[in-house]
Amino acid sequence: MSAYSKDVIRELVEGTLPWPQTRRIMSAYKDDDRFDKYISVLQDRVAWDDPILLPVGDRLFICDGGEGRVTRCECGHSFGDYRENWKLKAVINVRNTEASLREIYPNSDLPDPDWMEIREFFCPACAHLHEVEAAAPGYPIVHDFQPDLEGFYRDWLGKPLGKPGKETA
Amino acid sequence: MLDKTANPLRSRLLESERLMEETGCYDGITELTLRRQDPLKFETLHTKLRAYCVSAREMARRISASPGVREVGEMVVAIYTPEGDAIALSNGIMVHVHTMSRFIKWMIRNGYEENPAIRDGDIFANNDAFIGTVQVPDVMDVVPIFHEGTLVGWAGAVCHELEAGGITPGGDVCLAQERFTEGLFVCAEKVGENDELRRDYVIRCERNLRMPIYWVLDEKAKVAACIDMRESVKTLISEIGLDYWQRLSKEFIEEGRRAQLARTRQLTVPGIYRGHTFYGHVTEGKPGFQPLGPPNWLYNIPIEMEITAEGKIRMDFDGTQPWGYHSMNCTPAGMDGGMFVTLTQHMNFEGLVNDGAWMATEINIPHGTWTNPDNEMAATATSWALLLPAYGVFQRLLSRGFIARGFVEEAFVGQVNSPMIEMGGISQYGTQFGMAHFECAAAGSGALAIKDGLDTAYVGWNPESDMGNIEIWEQNMPMVYIGRSIVPNSGGAGKYRGGCAFSSTWLINKTEHLRLVTSEHSSRVFDNGGLCGGYPAPTCEKHHAVRGSDIFEKAARGEALAHGPGTDPVTSDFERAYKGEQVFEEGPYITRPHKSGDIFSHAYNGGGGFGDVLERDPVKTALDVENGFLTREAAETVFGIILGDDADGYPQADIDATVARRAEMRRARLEKAIPVSDWIAGEAARVKRQDFAPEVTRMYRSAMQLSPRFASEFKSFWGLDADYAFAGET
Repeated sequence: MSAYSKDVIRELVEGTLPWPQTRRIMSAYKDDDRFDKYISVLQDRVAWDDPILLPVGDRLFICDGGEGRVTRCECGHSFGDYRENWKLKAVINVRNTEASLREIYPNSDLPDPDWMEIREFFCPACAHLHEVEAAAPGYPIVHDFQPDLEGFYRDWLGKPLGKPGKETA
Repeated sequence: MLDKTANPLRSRLLESERLMEETGCYDGITELTLRRQDPLKFETLHTKLRAYCVSAREMARRISASPGVREVGEMVVAIYTPEGDAIALSNGIMVHVHTMSRFIKWMIRNGYEENPAIRDGDIFANNDAFIGTVQVPDVMDVVPIFHEGTLVGWAGAVCHELEAGGITPGGDVCLAQERFTEGLFVCAEKVGENDELRRDYVIRCERNLRMPIYWVLDEKAKVAACIDMRESVKTLISEIGLDYWQRLSKEFIEEGRRAQLARTRQLTVPGIYRGHTFYGHVTEGKPGFQPLGPPNWLYNIPIEMEITAEGKIRMDFDGTQPWGYHSMNCTPAGMDGGMFVTLTQHMNFEGLVNDGAWMATEINIPHGTWTNPDNEMAATATSWALLLPAYGVFQRLLSRGFIARGFVEEAFVGQVNSPMIEMGGISQYGTQFGMAHFECAAAGSGALAIKDGLDTAYVGWNPESDMGNIEIWEQNMPMVYIGRSIVPNSGGAGKYRGGCAFSSTWLINKTEHLRLVTSEHSSRVFDNGGLCGGYPAPTCEKHHAVRGSDIFEKAARGEALAHGPGTDPVTSDFERAYKGEQVFEEGPYITRPHKSGDIFSHAYNGGGGFGDVLERDPVKTALDVENGFLTREAAETVFGIILGDDADGYPQADIDATVARRAEMRRARLEKAIPVSDWIAGEAARVKRQDFAPEVTRMYRSAMQLSPRFASEFKSFWGLDADYAFAGET
């Protein structure tokens, strides 16, 4: 079974691992300790100490904070209870005019703003763009991911999740 | 000869399904006995079967006359159990491994043992999607494998035909609004005996197709592949014994099922994943469409995926749109096939790849929707137009699981639609012809979570994507290339951009009658998406053409030609360079015939982006600009990257200026953005007013009528009364 150093996993996650090495990792059997090393790499990256329980985006994590298990931006901003849709606590910019769509698509044909809009969900603290939805006007905001956090730790990882920093149930 | 009394095939199929239901394991195989006894032999024998498949496909491609099969590889072959479950398969258009399984099972369920009988040397063909394929041009042939009088399996092969004899040339016939205009149907038919195609079947093909040489030689190629696999399997059985083979083939599939569950548990996280995409179709004012329904429509394709504690993947299309009088409907076979080909690319990168993987999934395709029409007269000629966006969503949902689990190298923003052009009329040789141009099999891919997407090198339906050689295509059509180039900024923006698309520009040559049609796509919506902050790739490009151009005169004068429409969204390079009638048309492209001297251009699609654009590497971006994948304008305005020039005049990133520009862009983001709660309050008022375009209103009305869950969630999200309904008729 494959195994890689934490440094290799860090470079892989950051997209800086040379392609031939990345390609070998893609073709090899998967490494069983990946999740632990991955979490460790991410934990080193963030400036806060609360344990990361599960990444749910590129710079978005479920972590065990003082206020319970929450969805948190890498900058430290909390979007609240991880079971709720973090997007509802974000700030949003909607591109639903040809002029605003043209800012992102300078050369191409554009969708019809009466049929489709772009929704950008930003962190209100650091302005990181966490997610983009392309949706018809009036389409409800999607709750992208509701992980079975307890089941994942208990049944798949076989390790304790630990009590949340504050009871959120 | 099959012993119907002792072991009728239909009873065996039903028993196999009962055993699966009872034990949860394929055919009741609860123990992998042979694998345990001799794992090396077990693996070696499966590798042999796979080699039979790969070898047979490669041999058959040399028989074909079709550039789609020879150049682009639009073919797949597989070996099946007697009940029709895939044991081993080749590379190629793997979507059809499972659709062929449905075809075999359909024949078994419909009493083919008795009539027309299943005998050694028989050849059965099908291209009816309600029996088991995706669309009419996907024609499949299967032959039974007998060993000493006992049916021991099937060998099957599929080619995508470049001409299917429909209302317009090619096979992806967007004018087909019912099955009766889709082309030549072969409905689970015995088309050959004693290893030979029936002459009357060949005559039927020759008289009903615009370019029968493609279909007929593909038939011969497929039969050759099937016979080759059949004989190899028979030789193998002689070596290992019939009892061993019968147990082994079943264990292969059960092993595939278990491996899929294990991989899901290894690579993802259990839970609920959601996503959606859209599809817009515009026929208003276009010639040929019958007024059977609304001329323009918008489809929503919401997908909810559950990964269970066991590792099973459950896909749910509840909330999507009804089937319609258009060509984009899909059958359960197509939906299964889309799932299968996506799984083979994303999760079956090791171990035994076969129908076992599919058995570790479940799919809910609501009856009456485009995913499962309740009317078998519905057309499915361009199913891919909806399948590709839908399974692009599936790829993004899986990828979120990979990211959560740490396998970032597997995360992939996914496939896109890649609109095909098709043509017919009088060829450059003065003969009748018809052809689908398959260079579309090389779109841009979505980005990965660690790097940019593949440029002009990926489509979902065939992991071995290939655009084919220009010279080969030119031999087969009365057009010559005057340009084939990367479309700048055609990948979705992001920390990692989507792969770029390409566009081709042709001069119509040596013909006075060339029908050009494209099979799908309006430009009204994004039918792809980004992930984790990445943007969707641009919507489908409109078509540029010049009728009666002065290109011959310009060439005679030695003047520079325009080789593509360029990057100016207002005035194309064609308008600047050529005299003649300028055409600017939203897809589908259906117009009067073209003739020599006309120019036609067609762009394919790029993939969606990954991550926040303001994190994109400036140095990599400078290289992208240098190589034509991005423009300087996009680098600055979209990515916030300021480029100067180095001593040789090549783009060079100005890091300090980029940092300053990005800080300003982040400030601007926060100044402009509003709390989502405020936005919801404003939008809820709009929803209550039903202040939407008619197509949008109709989409909501249909979705709410078909899906109580969609209706409930929609009303709940916007705070609407329980009796809220969209006005008007569906």
